[in-house]
Amino acid sequence: MDRSARDALQRGMGRLADGDRSAFEPVFAALWPILRAFAARALPDRAEAEDAAQSALLKVFARAAEFDSRRDALAWALGIAAYECRTLRKTRLRRREDLSAEPPQGGQAHTPEDAAIDRNLHAAAAQILGALSVLDAETLLAAARGRRDPSATFRKRLERAIQRFRKEWRARHGAD
Amino acid sequence: MEQIDLRSRARRAYELGRARAGAKAAGAALLLAAVAIVLGRPLDLTAVLSAALVPLVFVLAFRGRAAGRAVWPGLAAGGAAMLLPLAVRTAGCELFGPSCMRFCLPAAILGGAIAGAGIGLLAARQGENDREFLLSGMAIAALAASLGCTLAGASGVLGMAAAAVAAGTPIWLGARVRR
Repeated sequence: MDRSARDALQRGMGRLADGDRSAFEPVFAALWPILRAFAARALPDRAEAEDAAQSALLKVFARAAEFDSRRDALAWALGIAAYECRTLRKTRLRRREDLSAEPPQGGQAHTPEDAAIDRNLHAAAAQILGALSVLDAETLLAAARGRRDPSATFRKRLERAIQRFRKEWRARHGAD
Repeated sequence: MEQIDLRSRARRAYELGRARAGAKAAGAALLLAAVAIVLGRPLDLTAVLSAALVPLVFVLAFRGRAAGRAVWPGLAAGGAAMLLPLAVRTAGCELFGPSCMRFCLPAAILGGAIAGAGIGLLAARQGENDREFLLSGMAIAALAASLGCTLAGASGVLGMAAAAVAAGTPIWLGARVRR
């Protein structure tokens, strides 16, 4: 974004914060592509990036009345977008953890490629389980086999085991 | 989501955000009314004044522009002017006894003058649309101050309003002439 466009956005946001409805269209036109591009860089999945960008845009407009025109409008909007991306990434991670804790459904990999990926993932997971303490490994396996103890102690133990598993995974593979 | 749909949702989000800002200001106006009641103002009179003040504050804050910018200064100035006569009655009567009531009218006038000068000073800094700011700020301040100034009767309200105009207008006019 060049300097003049950034200044125009700054002025537009200031007018919008002041209640000038005529600034809505130019601000929308300037912000939408920026937030979209930002979310696309922050999230690998295109659909998720689109969701995050839309959600960020709606939040920017919902909070436009609170915008302090002494602040940088672009940085403010990108801050909201970054928060949205982070929230979406966390939600996705949580969902993935929930899915991985579900008992296996007996479904087979559809293609040889899927099967190879599955094998690799299982091998990597087994390696990490081996590196964890016996208690952590047992807790994770029990959860994965659907033998979840409903007690709060088990839930906390599982939470800690997942955290240690994730840390170990990150150390070895560099990503979640 | 289609871009047109997204645009209309963004617009709705913006208007809701402004309504939230209006509700916040209206809440502050209600708080002033509650303080007035707690400090002994009659419920019916306070309710009548609040029935004018609260919607006015909401609409102006929701609408925005110069009138919207005047909402919080108006409430602050009016709140201060409202508290002066009430302070005279609550704390002053402890000090001066029953004769404290004769200070109510001067307190209302002093409060009005302070509020008017404050709004006038801020209006002078507004640049364009300063008149809109001044009128809205004065209206809100006068209504808010009336919550307390009715203690000195109709003369208290009139004195407060006259003092506000007398103190605020020259400041604002002076700034206009200098521009």
